[in-house]
Amino acid sequence: MKHFNWLLLLFCMPLLAAPDGKALYENNCSSCHHSQGKGGIGLPLTPEILSQLSDAYIAKTIRHGRPGRIMPSFEQLSLAQVNAIVRYVRSWTGKPAPVFQAAKIKGDAAKGKPLYEKHCVRCHGKDGSGEGPGTGVTMSRERTFMVMPAALNNSGFQKSASDAMIRDIVASGRKSSDMPSFKSKLSDEDIAHVVTYLRTLKPPVIKQGMEEWRGKPAYIMESPYDFETTVENVKQALTGANFRIFPQRYLEQGLVDEFSVNTRQVSIRFCNFKELYHLLNIDPRLGTVLPCRINVMAQNGKVLVISANVAHLATLFNNQELSEVGVLMEEIILTVMEEATL
Amino acid sequence: MRLFASLCLMLSLVLPVGADQTLVMVRSEAPAQYVMDVLKETLPEYGYTVAHTQRCDGGMAEFHYKSDFYRVVFFGKLEEVRTILARHPEMSPYLPLKITVVAENGETILASMDPRSLGGFFPEDAELQLQFLRWYNDIEAILDEMRRLKKK
Repeated sequence: MKHFNWLLLLFCMPLLAAPDGKALYENNCSSCHHSQGKGGIGLPLTPEILSQLSDAYIAKTIRHGRPGRIMPSFEQLSLAQVNAIVRYVRSWTGKPAPVFQAAKIKGDAAKGKPLYEKHCVRCHGKDGSGEGPGTGVTMSRERTFMVMPAALNNSGFQKSASDAMIRDIVASGRKSSDMPSFKSKLSDEDIAHVVTYLRTLKPPVIKQGMEEWRGKPAYIMESPYDFETTVENVKQALTGANFRIFPQRYLEQGLVDEFSVNTRQVSIRFCNFKELYHLLNIDPRLGTVLPCRINVMAQNGKVLVISANVAHLATLFNNQELSEVGVLMEEIILTVMEEATL
Repeated sequence: MRLFASLCLMLSLVLPVGADQTLVMVRSEAPAQYVMDVLKETLPEYGYTVAHTQRCDGGMAEFHYKSDFYRVVFFGKLEEVRTILARHPEMSPYLPLKITVVAENGETILASMDPRSLGGFFPEDAELQLQFLRWYNDIEAILDEMRRLKKK
């Protein structure tokens, strides 16, 4: 029994040891923020940017994420693990973190609204959603802004940023971005009004896919036609919907030799390149669900037409803009499938 | 002491370690083409066949992309694909499995859908849940190998 206990303790060592911030960062953060915080899909974490963010803000951001803005919530990480990541990131700056009071700032939202509309809307949008596709900075393409304007109405931002931190950023501007200092344009009182108004901004309601397909991995329709006719029907319907069709593949192609491949399962791949590049700008991780395809399978005497539930797939990315495209794509794909099986 | 140790063991088994993830992603310091080559060699070591590689980057430069390296690698095990599709044709859009390889600033991002995120669609099929877990473990291990690749 004594040995058993030691064995158990050995298993539990990772739980008992102090969390390794570097390892946690590399496992959870570096794929988006870069191994040295240069940014990528996610925001850069350069010393300049970190100099305006408190440790509490970073910790809460890790904890709550940014719903609909790519950054996931890491609610499963323990407080000690989150703090270890924050310490590791902070160590890059070589300077202590700024500290902001947690107390609410008293202002008048009604007075803040016109000020917000005059000074902030151009970049942050009327509803505070931020403008421009996606987040982050470098990825593989050019960016208009070094750092995309924050989605001020995002519940993750609202929970993470204290009034005092927002006030400081409004007054000082944002280093490494186009956000100017408003110190000369807004009095302390004005800034308090703006901060109070920001707290009234609500996140937009995210559209969902069609109810009848929710909770299903794929759209699936039975075709009244034979296999070959159904394949041709799908292609025609896709062409009619302005998609370019790639040479079709068997589902098993490449996994087995050409003589053994099941030729009654084909994948019709299609694309609208202009839309594709637009979507890749919204979220470069889109490739994980590409290419668009509709499968036709002959099985148990039936001919089935099947596509991934794109409205659901789009939600995997925690990217509201992409989720909305997923809902639109759902309509298009279902129309194509219906046309092919009418 | 025994109680404490048992509690620790239970916790180590049930506590998740990362975000509520739907994607598995890593960054490799190595350049994309090299990562692609190693990835194609590594997949068979885990028993998978590389079905094909699709380029998704034709003309990306015209759309102001700095890099045009964007590939999707499809891979799978024939018997698994056949067994699952016989039971669940609605799984066909998710098979074969795939990993996306994207160049970024001289480094490489690899991303794949977390197969466990499909689990909620098949609550009654314990065998399939186990399969999702196996795929996840393999994908995570493979991507971890790519993450460890060093700059050339």
